[in-house]
Amino acid sequence: MGKRLAGIFWSLLFLAVPVLGVATFAIAPAYDHWLPKDVSEHGASIDSLFYFILALTGVVFVVTEVLLFWFMWKYDEAKNQGEATYIQGSHTLEVVWTIIPAATLLFLAIYQMNAWADVKMRRPAMSPTVEVVARQFEWRLRYPGRDATLGTADDLFLVNDLHLPIDEDVLVQLKSMDVLHSFFLPNVRIKQDAVPGMKIPVWFKAREAGSYDIVCAELCGWGHYKMKGRVTFEPRAQFEAWLERKYAEQGTTQPPPEAADVATAQ
Amino acid sequence: MNTPFAMLRFTLLLAVVVTAVGCGKTPPASFRLNMVQATKTAAPESGMEKPWATWARERQGQVATILEAMYGTPDDPVALAETGLDLAKLKLAAGPVRSDIVGRKNGLYREHCVHCHGISGDGMGPTAAFLNPYPRDYRPGKFKFKGTWRDARPGREDLTRVLHEGIPGSSMPSFALLPPAQVDALVEYVRYLSMRGETELALYTYAEQELGVDDTLPTTKEFLVDEILTPIVEKWQGAEDARIPIASVPGNVDFTKPGDDPANRESVARGRALFHGDGGCVKCHGVTALGDGQANDYDDWNKVIVEWSKEVTGGLGSTQDDAGRTAWLHAAADVIEGDALRPRTIPPRNLRLGLYRGGRRPVDLYRRLYTGINGAPMPGVGPSGPGGKGSVADAEIWHIVNYIRSLPYEFDGELGADRPMVAKDRF
Amino acid sequence: MTSFCRSCVPLACLVVATSAGCGPRRVSAPVADAAAALTIREGLASTAAAAVTGGEAAVVGTGWASLKGRFVFAGDPGQPKPLAVDKDTEVCGKSSKLFDRSLRVDTSTKGLADVVVFVRKSSRVKNPVPDAPQMFDQKNCEFLAPVFAARVGQPIDVRNSDPVGHNTNIDGTSFNQLIPAGQGTTYKPDTEMGAPKAVTCNIHPWMKAYVIFRKDGYVAVSSGDGSFAIPDLPAGEPLEFQVWHARATGSGGGVVLERPDLKWNPKGRFVITLQADEVKDLGTLEVPAGSLGT
Repeated sequence: MGKRLAGIFWSLLFLAVPVLGVATFAIAPAYDHWLPKDVSEHGASIDSLFYFILALTGVVFVVTEVLLFWFMWKYDEAKNQGEATYIQGSHTLEVVWTIIPAATLLFLAIYQMNAWADVKMRRPAMSPTVEVVARQFEWRLRYPGRDATLGTADDLFLVNDLHLPIDEDVLVQLKSMDVLHSFFLPNVRIKQDAVPGMKIPVWFKAREAGSYDIVCAELCGWGHYKMKGRVTFEPRAQFEAWLERKYAEQGTTQPPPEAADVATAQ
Repeated sequence: MNTPFAMLRFTLLLAVVVTAVGCGKTPPASFRLNMVQATKTAAPESGMEKPWATWARERQGQVATILEAMYGTPDDPVALAETGLDLAKLKLAAGPVRSDIVGRKNGLYREHCVHCHGISGDGMGPTAAFLNPYPRDYRPGKFKFKGTWRDARPGREDLTRVLHEGIPGSSMPSFALLPPAQVDALVEYVRYLSMRGETELALYTYAEQELGVDDTLPTTKEFLVDEILTPIVEKWQGAEDARIPIASVPGNVDFTKPGDDPANRESVARGRALFHGDGGCVKCHGVTALGDGQANDYDDWNKVIVEWSKEVTGGLGSTQDDAGRTAWLHAAADVIEGDALRPRTIPPRNLRLGLYRGGRRPVDLYRRLYTGINGAPMPGVGPSGPGGKGSVADAEIWHIVNYIRSLPYEFDGELGADRPMVAKDRF
Repeated sequence: MTSFCRSCVPLACLVVATSAGCGPRRVSAPVADAAAALTIREGLASTAAAAVTGGEAAVVGTGWASLKGRFVFAGDPGQPKPLAVDKDTEVCGKSSKLFDRSLRVDTSTKGLADVVVFVRKSSRVKNPVPDAPQMFDQKNCEFLAPVFAARVGQPIDVRNSDPVGHNTNIDGTSFNQLIPAGQGTTYKPDTEMGAPKAVTCNIHPWMKAYVIFRKDGYVAVSSGDGSFAIPDLPAGEPLEFQVWHARATGSGGGVVLERPDLKWNPKGRFVITLQADEVKDLGTLEVPAGSLGT
């Protein structure tokens, strides 16, 4: 009797896995534990890929877990006194459950190629809007300045406070000053490792104004967890006005009265 | 356990786990004394009855007690009314990281600063030994990047600016994204730690100069507040009035345009002449401005260790051979070894990088040139005090600033094929 | 062989390693006495009127006197070490070689130069602060005065008589200024120093001198033959004099002499009360061989 109870207990425990798994995913959006708000143009295609894979793997997950439960329940030692049959394996079964996943993966690989190309290959022909240099443990920014060329004397140097225009293609030139970092904008569905020695272009287009996080997604040292920046999307006119304000601050020859001397990000 | 030694192995494993994890509660954080200065000023005198180590320990204990009376502990700061410190801000910054009853974050210093700057603001936190340059030691009250006269204290806006911008080229990050109230609290805590460090030094100086071996430090209000604390506080409160005057920019300088623009050509040429001439800059920064003029000087924080270390290893030249002196020198050597960072020379800045630690605005460069950099060998070309005379006229300093700003972009400068990598190709 | 637990050896080492820990051994620092600290804090917070300390009323006399003497060095100063001159060598050390001047003993008279004698506290001062500037010059990449004493408020003409630029860095003051070749600037000290501080040049790091600023101006530096004189001292009150030398091994640079008639203090001080119009000659003050690091 004890053994049967034990068998029931373990089977139900394993049934709880798919049940709770599905339940978590079902309830999560109601608690705002879901994908971050997407303000980018290409984000929709990435999210739809995510949902597609989630659905596909979810179905397979549920089926396999239920099967696991069923076999545990049905073939529990306490109920089956007979001997197990020894078989050499089923060649057909092995072929089937290799071909089907392989085909699925191949399908996925081809299905996502367009989305990948949009984000990683189809670079817009433009000069960088900003150069982001990742550094332990901050994001150093360099805007090209009024002459629209990076690397000249009128560049604008800032830290952590990235402003970008909306409804326009934005090209970020990503570099690292020391170790591997990863430029991750969750709300724009952009993530790109910053590799020391490389200049990596990152492009996207934001649709909606607002302030969102920049986080580092590649372990870079003890301060990795707090290597946070802030990206603010705003209409082009406001963006230019903000740039002008920052130019004026960078060219300050007289310290303004105390309250305005320290530029808290506006 | 059915194999021989299984019990022994299990016990050893358990011992490893226990020693690694430790047992008992973590003791509350406490300030450390400035052991280098404590031993330096505790020279034994002939005719001491107690062994030197006991005597020194008692003296240091008195100092620690007085400091706790005046400044409290890292978890529970105290701000005497005479210091002018805002206790509410200190409480926000002090203590372990936690939320207070209204949901504000407390323990800011411990969250953001302590791992480099240390619990006492001594610049010897756990990560400090791995950093170049070392984090600032607040205790002598010297700060490099400010807009006041060289020996004056920084104003609140100078400290806020450093927190806001960080120090590019060092490991000091930018805290621009912290709410202003938190930045204010941290600035106040830095001032608090600096005042505490200066009080400690003043107590050691007093003990060395005025006390005999059997005397104890007085703890009266006249002594602690009027004699020790007031001069320190006056310097801090006088910082706002000690700002250097900023001359108006000459007409032929346009900081909105690059250095090779016709609007600036004359000014940059004048700046170059001053840089190589009366400004004396090439002596240390080199004719190439790469900072290769010399490499064997120390900043003040490291120089103290270097010079004291030389005296200690030289036995302070004494031929006396008594136990007190030997104990003192041994203790001093131990402290230099274990309680001070290994000294590093300070190279003159490479001006071709376009990386300016104190800020890249023209007014920041003007300030560095005017007073020099307090704590560093960099001298000033402006007057040393109000009403003084500098080696370069105030308005001319702007020409040097213009020249310096053009240096990283001087593609076809005099250096030709040997030119250093310019800012365009660098970060 | 079978009775030896092989895996216990690395485990035992691991126990030792974790308990010993790794990392620099910081010196154990003393802890504060929390209860005593609270008592002191209460005392500081109290707004009670400061208790009259009941000390002796300050003795103030009348009249003025002078003090003079001559320091001699009983030991062997050895040969002065040459300085490592590695910059601007066409100018520095050209007219004469540069040596370490921290211990200057006159070979014939055994007079000890560069000893600073100053009054620690005086109640009255005879002469007001003069307006005429004192000269502090540097030539041949060397400060002309190895030890320089000045009065707080008296202007100092800091000059550079070399064909190369120098920066004169007075430790502990706001003065670290670049002085171009052949030029000078004026500096007016505004704070008193408790002990002489170093003056250096960051461009030429071997350059070193000492400087002391005193409010009352009762300070003298012994000359080449060891003699010094301080005139116009307040008479009729006990004056505590501090004797300082750059190489002294006493605490804070105080020079300790064996002169029981002067009640010499281990910090290098003695107390003396002068009579009005007296010219007190301390005679030959012999500095023992061991009290200066040689």
